[in-house]
Amino acid sequence: MKRLRNSASVIALVAASAMFTTACEEPKVDAAIYETLQQCLKDINMVRSECEKNYNSARQQHAAVAPKFASKQECETEFGAARCEQAPQRTSSGGSMFMPLMMGYMMGSMIGGRGFGNSQPLYRTRSNPGTFRTSDNKAAGRSTGRTQVAKSSMARPTSKASTRSRGGFGSSGRRFGSAAT
Amino acid sequence: MKRIPVKERSSLADAAVRHEFEFQAGQGVPFWDETAYYQFTTQQIDEDIVAPAEEIENLCYQVISRAMEDETVLQRLGVARVHWDLIADSWQNKDRNLYGRMDLSYDGKGPAKLLEYNADTPTTLYESAVFQWEWLEEADKEGLLPDRCDQFNEVHEKIVEAFPRLGIDSILHLASNQDVEDDKGTLEYIAECAQEAGLLTNVLAMEDIGISEEGQFTDLDDKPISTLFKLYPWEWILAEDFGAHVAASGVRFIEPAWRSILSNKGLLPILWEMFEGHPNLLPAFFEDDPAADALGETYVRKPLLGRQGANVEIYRDGKIETSREGPYGEQAHILQEFHPLPDFDGRFPLIGCWLIASKAVGMGIREDKTLITGTEANFVPHVIVE
Repeated sequence: MKRLRNSASVIALVAASAMFTTACEEPKVDAAIYETLQQCLKDINMVRSECEKNYNSARQQHAAVAPKFASKQECETEFGAARCEQAPQRTSSGGSMFMPLMMGYMMGSMIGGRGFGNSQPLYRTRSNPGTFRTSDNKAAGRSTGRTQVAKSSMARPTSKASTRSRGGFGSSGRRFGSAAT
Repeated sequence: MKRIPVKERSSLADAAVRHEFEFQAGQGVPFWDETAYYQFTTQQIDEDIVAPAEEIENLCYQVISRAMEDETVLQRLGVARVHWDLIADSWQNKDRNLYGRMDLSYDGKGPAKLLEYNADTPTTLYESAVFQWEWLEEADKEGLLPDRCDQFNEVHEKIVEAFPRLGIDSILHLASNQDVEDDKGTLEYIAECAQEAGLLTNVLAMEDIGISEEGQFTDLDDKPISTLFKLYPWEWILAEDFGAHVAASGVRFIEPAWRSILSNKGLLPILWEMFEGHPNLLPAFFEDDPAADALGETYVRKPLLGRQGANVEIYRDGKIETSREGPYGEQAHILQEFHPLPDFDGRFPLIGCWLIASKAVGMGIREDKTLITGTEANFVPHVIVE
């Protein structure tokens, strides 16, 4: 039962999630990014049908994946003045929710020259307006048109559940202390 | 089985710092005692700990299978009917268990006896998996131990091996009461094991968990939680405000809901009822069962869902001889045959056998100065020597 385990490997406490890789270090993939449908249509390297189908797909995802806020002010703090709109979702008490405007869309080059697909909406934050960001806050670069982005930025965006309340767990812990047996 | 006094490592203070344990000069690390170790033979471990523990695990599976068909099991365990489907579904879905600790009374000679099964939120994982292993390596280097010492301990490796087999295909969320240092530390350790196994993790407090419009549980980034490791017992979860939303949340829990059948001390009378006479089981009865008379006037009385010895009472000839206080006294109780922990130099060691993915792969020993092992008990390391 003896084994040569390096016990130093189990030492340091690691903070919360380890989800974001630096975009620069990753392999890049071909993509196309536009701020508007018009911008895509004007690009002579793009086919009309590709522009439209990907724009529509991104627009359809936008309401589900965009970050949600309980107030317009909170949203604008993050994304800038006049850059937010009301979201279709409501809080459990019937209140409004807000999300950033869709500020662009990104599509990936499909294998085998089959055009572009896997599109998703893009956003820009107030603090870093030069960089496009996905709804999961992954950087997608600063350029429009045909470009290259980090592979992980192309991942399907996750739906943002609009949290309606928190704190529904924990009361027993406050009362009894340690959970351990 | 021997208890052998030994010098502390000269590196103990450093070890405490590295592992973020408290250390006080002259007092060492709280709840850790390396001024002695227990010594076993391979045969004792294999025949008297491993084999019985894995056998008891199989008996437990039979209890759960029975609970799926016979509703009196969950009734007697005091589980509210509204939660029965949640428990049954987790079993039918084959939601996998990761870890658990069986508490055994064993003196090196007779068969080990199951006192209880901590199948939901077992403590002392870090000491068992990591700290006592490092003690073995360092004490050995300092020449404090006999030649060719080993330790019954593959806990860390087996946890890391088990994670990829749990079928987790998204981020693993982990939650506990983050105000309890011990629980927080254990949770961080488990998160590290998951990371070592290649999983992405996100640690949060139980009270940080939110609920969405669609009934999903969410983290602080509003991302839906799909798999949650919880260092938080099922009975608390189901009793709290969000408990009613657990079934519809679609979250897969570790430990799964079916483990709540085993972490409930009602398991013990059911095991005895189904497997009466098994050498590793003690006679046990629900307190209101007339058959409990078989125990006579000397027995141990335990609440179904206590923790760390709280509210346990030892009755001798009808009177309480030893007891521990606690907040669980109002619950239903079981009565179990009194099989005292062995006395080694005035200390009473309790053997905690670790099962990872239902295999017995390690052991941690805690010593109390009384016969009821409580929160003040010290963890004492062990070795295997032929």
